[in-house]
Amino acid sequence: MKKTSIRDLVTRFSVPLMFVLICAVCAPISGLSPTYLINEIVTRMGRNAFLILSLLIPIMAGMGLNFSMTLGAMAGEIGLILVCDWQIVGIPGMILAMIISVPISALLGLFCGKVLNMAKGREMITSYIISFFINGIYQLVVLYMMGPIIPIKHGSIKLPRGYGIRNTVSLLSMRQKLDNLIPLNIAGIKIPVATFIVVFILCIVIVRFRKTKLGQDMRAVGQDMEVARDAGIDVERTRIISMILSTVFAGIGMIIYLQNMGNIATYSSHSQIGMFCIAALLVGGASVDKASIGNVFLGIILFHTMFIVAPKAGTVITGDSMIGEYFRVFVSYAVITVALIMYETGKRRAKSREGQMLAQQQEVSDED
Amino acid sequence: MKIKKRDKATWIVRGVTLLIVIAIAVLMFIIGRGHTIYFDNKPFESAGDKIEAPYKVEVLVGGEKVARLKEGERGMVETMGQSFDMQLVITKEKNGKSSKVKVSLPIPYNMDGVVINLPAMLAGKGPEDYMTEFVPTPSSAELEDEEVVTDETEGLMDFGDE
Repeated sequence: MKKTSIRDLVTRFSVPLMFVLICAVCAPISGLSPTYLINEIVTRMGRNAFLILSLLIPIMAGMGLNFSMTLGAMAGEIGLILVCDWQIVGIPGMILAMIISVPISALLGLFCGKVLNMAKGREMITSYIISFFINGIYQLVVLYMMGPIIPIKHGSIKLPRGYGIRNTVSLLSMRQKLDNLIPLNIAGIKIPVATFIVVFILCIVIVRFRKTKLGQDMRAVGQDMEVARDAGIDVERTRIISMILSTVFAGIGMIIYLQNMGNIATYSSHSQIGMFCIAALLVGGASVDKASIGNVFLGIILFHTMFIVAPKAGTVITGDSMIGEYFRVFVSYAVITVALIMYETGKRRAKSREGQMLAQQQEVSDED
Repeated sequence: MKIKKRDKATWIVRGVTLLIVIAIAVLMFIIGRGHTIYFDNKPFESAGDKIEAPYKVEVLVGGEKVARLKEGERGMVETMGQSFDMQLVITKEKNGKSSKVKVSLPIPYNMDGVVINLPAMLAGKGPEDYMTEFVPTPSSAELEDEEVVTDETEGLMDFGDE
């Protein structure tokens, strides 16, 4: 059995360790009470977990970090906008928004999967650019088609010019309805039980899914596409299904996220969500080709602790809260950059190691 | 032959699933419809018929007091679904005895806001008399033109050429 050295472990978990250090330093400086901090982390865990879990399936299928999860987020937002206009409130409103978002997400996931099949090996950059492309179409739909083509009745949602949706849509009628469905308060810490149950169900689905025929196929495709193809797996179809599932889950996740927030920033809510979810997953110790449910939860705890304490710590140290704001934003991007570099370096190292071994084998066979 | 049978079964399962999803969506449409109910404790006048408003009316919804209305006042509550249950505690005169009335009303689906004239309802008038649609007047903030920002990098490409 191969022995893992401490150096290997430190290298592998360098990002989570770095974040533990940042949080350990910043948390006492920020002066925030432990109750407040835990409350915030628990709230953010309920808010973000579903979205981040949606990233696991494409990683399993070897498609890397799904930057196009924003497509699902857009579908979720469209569902919520329509439901708001129809005045369907509370949990029924959320369920209806999910039902509306699923076919839209599935279609977008299908499109994205087909495009990514044409760009094998460059999935992440392609999915990133697709999200910009679909954002343009989303804007066309929301800004010009909602009103004249898709009926929107309420003036509180529609722009005063008569078409298009306002910058912010209030979700007051369904704000934290899922979070507060089963109220539980332990030592001043509000626990969104119902949201956690939904997240737990998704975790179970992911764990069970891995054991199904399709899940095994996805893992095989993720390990080696050519070997999987030789084994009779329809690689392209499997990859498309993984994208559809991820996009659909992202759509549902976005609805859970926005019900917690209580409003939709129509033109910007989705644009940052992919980046922050990916950063959180990477902070949890995931990599481009390997991620687990544990990484999701560790990532949320560390990334969001940093998000909460950094501005306060920045204010205490420098007297300017903006320093902390800059810090948390640049750290998010830096984490993604570091993960991508580490992935590429690892790949190159593995390739060169394989080459060296092949050369050694050839030398041995020549000597014989 | 076996494959064809399996295909048929698959399509049946898909069809049934789709039908169930549509049924859930329809159900959500009905049970999740939100309404704002406004209670008016104002005198009611119609075709020479005048009904005086009681001194005080307390409105309880789901055991919780949502409004305490003196004569001429209006209260409101947000509700979900097509039927609305409330309990009214009516005091006809100052320092008088109060009485309790339980009321259950069907709410028209097409109305976002419904105004209920409590004296008319208590006097036994029909829904066409005591129930009217609330049409909100848009606030000045709502009518103000809103600049939509769709591009976060807007302005970054402006090099001041023109």
